Amino acid sequence: MAEVKEITRKLEEIHEKIKAEIPWEPVGPTPMPEMPDLRQWDMRLLKTYAPFYAPFCDLCCFCTYGKCDLTEGRRGACGIDIATQQARFVLLACLMGCSAHAAHGGHILEFLIERHGADKKIDLGTSIEVEAPNIRTVVGLKPETLGDLQIALEYVFKEIAHLLDSCHTGQEGNALDYESKALHASMLDHVGMEIADIAQIVGFNYPTSVAETPLVEMGWGAIDKSKPVILVSGHNPATSTVVIDYLREHNLEDQVEVCGLCCTALETTRYSDKAKIVGPLSRALFFMRTGIADVIMTDEQCIRTDTPQEAAKVGSAMIACLDKAMYGLEDATDLDPDEIVRRMVDNKEQFAILDSPKAAEVAVKVAMEIAPQRKKGWLTEEEAIELAKKCTNCRMCEQVCPNLFNIGGGITEVAKGNFDLIRQQFLQCIGCGKCEEECPNNVPIFKIMQTAASMETWKCRAGRGPVMDTEIRNVGAPITLGTIPGVIALVGCSNYPNINDIADMVDEFARRKYIVVLTGCAAMVAGMKKDEDGLTVYEKYPPDFDGGGVVNIGSCVANAHISGAAIKIANIFAALPLRGNYEVMADYVLNRVGACGVAWGAMSQKAASIGTGFNRLGVPVVLGPHSSKYRRLYLSRKEEDDWKAMDARKKEIVDTVEPAPEHLAYVCETKEKAMPMIAKLCIRRNDTPQGRAIKLNHYISLYKKYIGPGLPEDLHLFVRRDADIPLVYKKEVRAHLQEIGWQPREPIGLPTLIGTYPTKVPVDAVIH
Amino acid sequence: MSAVIPRHRVNVLTGIKSARLIEDPVEYASLIKKAKRPLLVVGPLLLKSLPDGKLLMEYALDIAKAAGIPICATAQTRGKIVELGVQPDCVYDTVEIANALKDPDWQGVKKEGNHDLVIFFGIRSDLGNQSLSTLKHFAPHLKTMTLCIHYFPHANYSLPNFKKDAKWQEFLESLIANLEKGD
Repeated sequence: MAEVKEITRKLEEIHEKIKAEIPWEPVGPTPMPEMPDLRQWDMRLLKTYAPFYAPFCDLCCFCTYGKCDLTEGRRGACGIDIATQQARFVLLACLMGCSAHAAHGGHILEFLIERHGADKKIDLGTSIEVEAPNIRTVVGLKPETLGDLQIALEYVFKEIAHLLDSCHTGQEGNALDYESKALHASMLDHVGMEIADIAQIVGFNYPTSVAETPLVEMGWGAIDKSKPVILVSGHNPATSTVVIDYLREHNLEDQVEVCGLCCTALETTRYSDKAKIVGPLSRALFFMRTGIADVIMTDEQCIRTDTPQEAAKVGSAMIACLDKAMYGLEDATDLDPDEIVRRMVDNKEQFAILDSPKAAEVAVKVAMEIAPQRKKGWLTEEEAIELAKKCTNCRMCEQVCPNLFNIGGGITEVAKGNFDLIRQQFLQCIGCGKCEEECPNNVPIFKIMQTAASMETWKCRAGRGPVMDTEIRNVGAPITLGTIPGVIALVGCSNYPNINDIADMVDEFARRKYIVVLTGCAAMVAGMKKDEDGLTVYEKYPPDFDGGGVVNIGSCVANAHISGAAIKIANIFAALPLRGNYEVMADYVLNRVGACGVAWGAMSQKAASIGTGFNRLGVPVVLGPHSSKYRRLYLSRKEEDDWKAMDARKKEIVDTVEPAPEHLAYVCETKEKAMPMIAKLCIRRNDTPQGRAIKLNHYISLYKKYIGPGLPEDLHLFVRRDADIPLVYKKEVRAHLQEIGWQPREPIGLPTLIGTYPTKVPVDAVIH
Repeated sequence: MSAVIPRHRVNVLTGIKSARLIEDPVEYASLIKKAKRPLLVVGPLLLKSLPDGKLLMEYALDIAKAAGIPICATAQTRGKIVELGVQPDCVYDTVEIANALKDPDWQGVKKEGNHDLVIFFGIRSDLGNQSLSTLKHFAPHLKTMTLCIHYFPHANYSLPNFKKDAKWQEFLESLIANLEKGD
């Protein structure tokens, strides 16, 4: 009885928070879900897509009982086994990612509420009515003001605390339950990201309800180093936008260059088309060491922890602008700006300034004062040859390179006057600097690589924010029927294993009329390759969310608009209610929306939570080979696993046989393998014969192009009837199927997993 | 000062129960010959040639032929293997084959029972080492071995870090010769 009362009280509280009395949609079964509320959905997913663990090390060293040896079935002092320890690590990574985005959202929201007030209306333009699909689905709230976003954020923060608590020594003892918690944390990440980006769009007037955003300049060569240069680095636009405001207010916009690294670059170009993109995170150390930046301003996430030291080495001034990274610097927030400027110019002091307008004023004044005195030049090839002669090619650098390069080989070639290999290595370098740390001869590898850096400039389309409802209405049917063969989302960090891979993938799938969406550093590097006509993919393909379109959604936090677009297909096109109805949305996406995420160069914990959040929503993600270091994948065993689904119309469980999608989190070793895998992971049970034939056409043709002659080994699993066979391969496929004794089977009418596992959701809830 | 490994089973300096390092091709050949159901998993790094022009994949095929080992082609290697006149026994990606191998009831590529020795050759060291870690922890029914130029700590048996390609090549050639000798 007491338990019932508690549940009722909790529900009443939730209903009050989400303003349940406003009847825009009935409240579904899981508004503001807590850890156990979606556990059954997770367990159903994990039954088919079991965690595949690849431990980095064999020990646990979290507490003073350790280090504990977890090999050969041993348990640690607290009782934990190796699988559960890996799952705990995964949860921690996802929590770091979720916290980074949610805290970013919290900071930006506070900043914008102070500027505009909590009652500032959320208006994303005439083409977007479902403004916050993740918040609506998970939280059950329809946010109308910036203040409403705070309600959603408080819920996320509360859940983060509970999840982090479960990581403490001596608590959760089951790997699958830790996975369920990681999936929960990562779903929350998409809520946090959505809060952050909606706030930014509303508060900074970013583009919205428009596809054709400006093409902005990118690359070192785009930066006019004859002017004072301010480099903004990180993710939070509270710093960079205020710099631009200051320049505009003082008519200095044409006199000072503002350029950005990583997601802050994308945010800045959403605010001003005069801002330049230096490049992804992998270019950070290289660019800082050129000394081109007169002032470096850091904010948060993906900024180097050695920025003060690197800035000092080349005489760049440096300001830390957010409390997340203060680098041990004096907090000058309360000092007079002119005093700070004097000390920075005269004494070369670095400061933390946590007041954005003050930091902006100081940065501009310092940049204008020191720029004329600073020498900004590149290393010459002759100088590089001399420096390279110290290299003995001992291969120590190769052993620490996360991308496994023979850097010594490149440097010794430079010593001979040949720059070909080092140019190639620069292009693929992830920019971590470990090679230089390791070099016993102190060869300045990064400096030498400056000579290999291309001065070429490229074009990147400015991020456009949410996919428009009007676009969803147009593509909903062809996506769910399969005639648009898939939505490919290239997200996150970019340089592993080869920076060109992203542009190649975009080109391959856009040419084949998939919808290609991009975010974060992947969105930048997609533009860093030109075709034979000198065009980047942003110039070559239209910016529409439609077959053959290439869409830059925005920075990392804009990933929420991609998951949001998947939800909107279920809500707007299929008319399924989304409010507090996560299971139904995820089930729809898993079974009917042919989408595949590609986090090809993923490096960060944020990438872990973004990807895992997509997984809970039913979107598979392909990762690059180094991502095996994330410790966990979600893999099926296609010929042995349970591929049963409910036919919602007939209320019958059907063994579909087809692994669609085959995996939820998968590592490919090469681009060549990834291409057909991405196409395959867009196959869904819901495909019509026409849609399936189109998808199989791409799967087969990509297999032949990148793997070799013949047919994919698992093709028979995806052919239900003769009508599924693509026309162009009809003869070859029929002969193959006959040879292996394939038998036709009926496609499932309305596929759903609801009804195949214990859930409060009735099967009828998936019928629209 | 060289590091002293304490009396723990796991090297607490690296956090890894490390592979036994073997440089002797005779010993390697003997371990392969002793296996009842070995499997050779080949990766895309074998699509490169050594300085003498011989494709690394040819070494792999020679090893498989000499010891009668079935081949699992990963990534895009199938095309090249077929081009060289050999039909791989199965096509899986590295993580897929590791996923199957960790199931003790899996019947293996020949349907004769799960493998007892798995040899990785030509897989990127990050992916390869992580997948070997999976097998170390979750496939106690089998042993693992690598033939790559770098040391793979998560394997049971690994070659050292060869600084020169020539040394590695010498090892591979000697291994093939020893395998060809038979018992």
